[in-house]
Amino acid sequence: MTDSDAPILTARDLVKAYEARRVLDGVSFSLRRGERLALTGPSGSGKTTLLNCLGGVDRADSGSLVLEGREVAGLSADELASLRRHRVGTIFQFFHLLPTLTAAENVELPLQLTGVPAGARSGRVARVLDRVGLAHRSHALPSQLSGGEMQRVAIARALVHEPALLLADEPTGNLDSANGDNILALLEGLSEETGTSLVLVTHSPEATRICHRVLRMKDGRMLPEA
Amino acid sequence: MLALLFTRFTLRHWRSSLRQSVLLALILALGVAVYFSVRLANRAAVASFQDFSELITTQSDWVVSSPSGELPESALREVREALGDAPVHLLAVVETTGAKPRDPQHEEEIGTRPTWTIMGVDLVALTNFPATRRNDAAWFSEGPGNFWSVFANPRAVYISAALAEKEHLKPGSEFPLVVNEHVATLTVAGLIPANQAGAQVPETLLLMDLPSLQALAGREGRLDRIECLVQEGPLAAQARVTLREAVEKKGGDRWVVSSPHDRRKAAATMTQAFRLNLTLLSLLALLVGLYLIFQALDGAVVRRREEIGILRSLGVPPRMIQAAWLVEAAALGVVGGVAGGLLGWGGAQVSVRLVSRTVNALYYATSTNGARFEPGEFLLVVALAVVASVLAGWLPARAAAATPPAQLLVRHAAPAGGGKMTRLPWLGLAFWVVGGLLLLAPPLRLEGGGRFPWAGYVAVLCGVFGGGCLGASVLRVLARLLAPAGAWSLPLRLAASHLRRPSGRHGLAAACLLCAVTMTGGMAILVGSFDRTMRGWIDRTFHADLYISSDGAQSASTRNRISPATWQAIVARPEVAEAAPSQFAPVTVNGLSTLLGGVDLGLMHRRVDMAWVQEPRSGDIFDPAKNSTLALCSEAFSERFRLHRGDAVDVPTPAGFKRVTLAGVFADYGNERGSLLVERTHFSRWFGHEQLANLALFVKPGVSPDDLRASLLHDHPGLSVFTNSRLRAEILRIFRQTFSLTYALELIGVIVAVTGLGLTLASVLLERRAELTTLRALGLRHGEMARATAAEGAVLSLAGTGLGLALSLALGWILIFIINKQTFGWTLQFTVPWLQLAAFAALVLASGTTVAFLVGLRSARLPADREE
Repeated sequence: MTDSDAPILTARDLVKAYEARRVLDGVSFSLRRGERLALTGPSGSGKTTLLNCLGGVDRADSGSLVLEGREVAGLSADELASLRRHRVGTIFQFFHLLPTLTAAENVELPLQLTGVPAGARSGRVARVLDRVGLAHRSHALPSQLSGGEMQRVAIARALVHEPALLLADEPTGNLDSANGDNILALLEGLSEETGTSLVLVTHSPEATRICHRVLRMKDGRMLPEA
Repeated sequence: MLALLFTRFTLRHWRSSLRQSVLLALILALGVAVYFSVRLANRAAVASFQDFSELITTQSDWVVSSPSGELPESALREVREALGDAPVHLLAVVETTGAKPRDPQHEEEIGTRPTWTIMGVDLVALTNFPATRRNDAAWFSEGPGNFWSVFANPRAVYISAALAEKEHLKPGSEFPLVVNEHVATLTVAGLIPANQAGAQVPETLLLMDLPSLQALAGREGRLDRIECLVQEGPLAAQARVTLREAVEKKGGDRWVVSSPHDRRKAAATMTQAFRLNLTLLSLLALLVGLYLIFQALDGAVVRRREEIGILRSLGVPPRMIQAAWLVEAAALGVVGGVAGGLLGWGGAQVSVRLVSRTVNALYYATSTNGARFEPGEFLLVVALAVVASVLAGWLPARAAAATPPAQLLVRHAAPAGGGKMTRLPWLGLAFWVVGGLLLLAPPLRLEGGGRFPWAGYVAVLCGVFGGGCLGASVLRVLARLLAPAGAWSLPLRLAASHLRRPSGRHGLAAACLLCAVTMTGGMAILVGSFDRTMRGWIDRTFHADLYISSDGAQSASTRNRISPATWQAIVARPEVAEAAPSQFAPVTVNGLSTLLGGVDLGLMHRRVDMAWVQEPRSGDIFDPAKNSTLALCSEAFSERFRLHRGDAVDVPTPAGFKRVTLAGVFADYGNERGSLLVERTHFSRWFGHEQLANLALFVKPGVSPDDLRASLLHDHPGLSVFTNSRLRAEILRIFRQTFSLTYALELIGVIVAVTGLGLTLASVLLERRAELTTLRALGLRHGEMARATAAEGAVLSLAGTGLGLALSLALGWILIFIINKQTFGWTLQFTVPWLQLAAFAALVLASGTTVAFLVGLRSARLPADREE
């Protein structure tokens, strides 16, 4: 098995229940380095919960989740936070930019969290903003940006610290089709350039096209691959 | 629909978070309770001013007294002459005070023993009063033998049933009481029967036969007043008018003829300013309760925003949403008001004693120990709680009504929140300008000579409101200053970013903290200035080695004096180098009560470093040969009567009115009614006696004041003798004690403001759920998120505290030079207790930051599913 074939992420029998309802019911799958995986399924099928568990924002009740050879289930809250800040990037449907920070400050945030010196941060922020085509909007507040621009900033923020895993929850769900296509192209290109693995939760057939594999979920279970 | 919203939503929300709902109602209840208990205590203290004679007989139609404080016995004959053979019953009355002897084992503190009122009436005349009492025969049946045996024992005294029960006394029992300089052993003759109305006789009232009390008090031939009662009959009403006119004509300006209503009213007006100030302080407690209600309802609107959005989507109009929230606020008001009313009634049983103690020490004898439950007052206070709660809920209700329907409710988009005024700096400046102009306005002159500095209080409010309006601007400035630090610290960057454009909630939290800090800082400056001024005044004024007074003198209403035989014997002792005897009498000048003192002005000039407000232009006032028409007055007297150096004043004395010219005005912090000082030799001539209120002794070199004190106490157990250091300590203790309630209320204010800050941040963080989710997704630890909130709280606290402290300097100035000066007429030296203020600021900053950290930590720990 080559390095690129080795799974960066392996989930086995993940179970998560809210009161009596199992939101994740024995979910298993793996993800290779640089692989782009689409998660689809009807509302309430458990996609977002699975994404939360993958990012360490939420914990599965049982099962195993191994990220880069490290079991996530046993990590403390602080260790999970450290994992997220160093190895995971997240993109949300509603962008979730911090409204009081400028575009550049939003992008700078993960670098600051990982302890990158102030001098080195500005160059990296400028580069990544330039890459997403927003170098000229670096001082704008989120409220001054369009939806597409906000999602570009969110992508820049998710990738600026070069994570191993990028989690995207309906990244085009709140954009018109033209902007959505642009964002998907950007995600595909960046993933290729950086070799970052991507888990993309989506309802959009267009979005699945940029992925190597598509997994369907229903009632908290992973359906067999087509 | 309103009922549906209330039962299906409001009540269910209350039930689901029962603990929080109960806490909220309790907060309001506490505010209401403080206000209600002070209100009841005030009423009880005023109601307790009694013509004690009313308690032992029926209410008289009018009372004849003298502006000089006492009538000669001959006045009784004159009144009778004026009335002719009209069917009017007269009752001559003498009152004095006494106290239980001190415990020789303990160092006594002034004012810690209750003052007892001993009333002397002609018991035979009393029994001849019309048969309006409940039990005429009681006087004759309660004694040890028969009624007439009372006259055989000059120490026989009637006591109240309450005292008999408390002290286990019965007819024939003996008990000691300090009257003047003697410890007299009194014999219980019987119990004072209840009057016609069945009113309770207070335990501190004792009754003696008139001549016996005159002899005991050393007031032979003198009366305090004559009670007049017109016999009932068909022409009684008309007779009351004509006869009173006849008495007034006969007495001229020698007598004051007043009805019991007039006397009660005079007592009420005497304490009006004091009670008004206390009520304002108690309202502060209600206000802080309201602030918390506002914060809590505001937070609830944020929490229930989605529910409101759904209701809007289902067609509930905004007006109905607003009404539902107002109903919720009103319901909270009812619950808090009822609970607060009951709590307040309980609290009044305690506070009435505190209020009574002050009234007793400063104004007149009160006897009340408890406050009655008054249904009307209770309903009034519940209504007040409802109105106040609805006012507090107004802005949250408006915010709720402004919530868009769910379809438009952009997820995680926070509404602006209240506090628009906190973002209007020009309004703040306008408030300050208005406040500044108000400082020029004179006080409201109350009946009875009291002054209410309304403009000073409104100026304080303007100052605080103005500061509140500037709060958000200060936050912006601080955020800009903090921004560079964001490059090194993420929590600081986040905090600064949130405060660059502070929300209304931020502004409001800073404004409330500012308000609390301003009030507390201002009070600290007032108290600090008072303390320093008092210490300076004590240093200048109290130079004698020993201070002697009757041990029965425990309050402002004391009538106990030292007889000439006793004080002259003390002055003649070989250890004494020099003595400063002082005589005092309560007099009525221009219809207002004040104090006339007779002192050795020359000695005072030599021995006391007087603090002059207006210094005498010549030394005549200090020369007994030249000062018979001169007087000095205190600053409070000058303010109250609007008289200054060079003005003349007619002083009532038993020898007639004496016109004196004010030669100077001195600073004095003894009482707010003011005092007038004349040479003692003139005083004793005018009043016909040489009984002293107090005596100061300067001992000869080599004499130990402590030894002399011990010797004097041994020889005169009825005297109170204080050394210089002990008296100074006592004065400062009493002074500091009077501020204890203020301190407690201010502390509550700060606790509430810090709690309010916590609630604000909780609401703000609730609105930022999405941001918290993002930060967690980005890898922020709980501690880091909490530190970001702590930094935000610290900046808010810094803004509130910094501006609050700056404003407190202005408030302190207003309190000292406007409010205090107008209310009490005292000039204080402006002193800023920097160390105390710094410690206080550090405490507020630390508590604000800690509370913010805890709120941040709690919010950071919200599970992900609840964030989404």
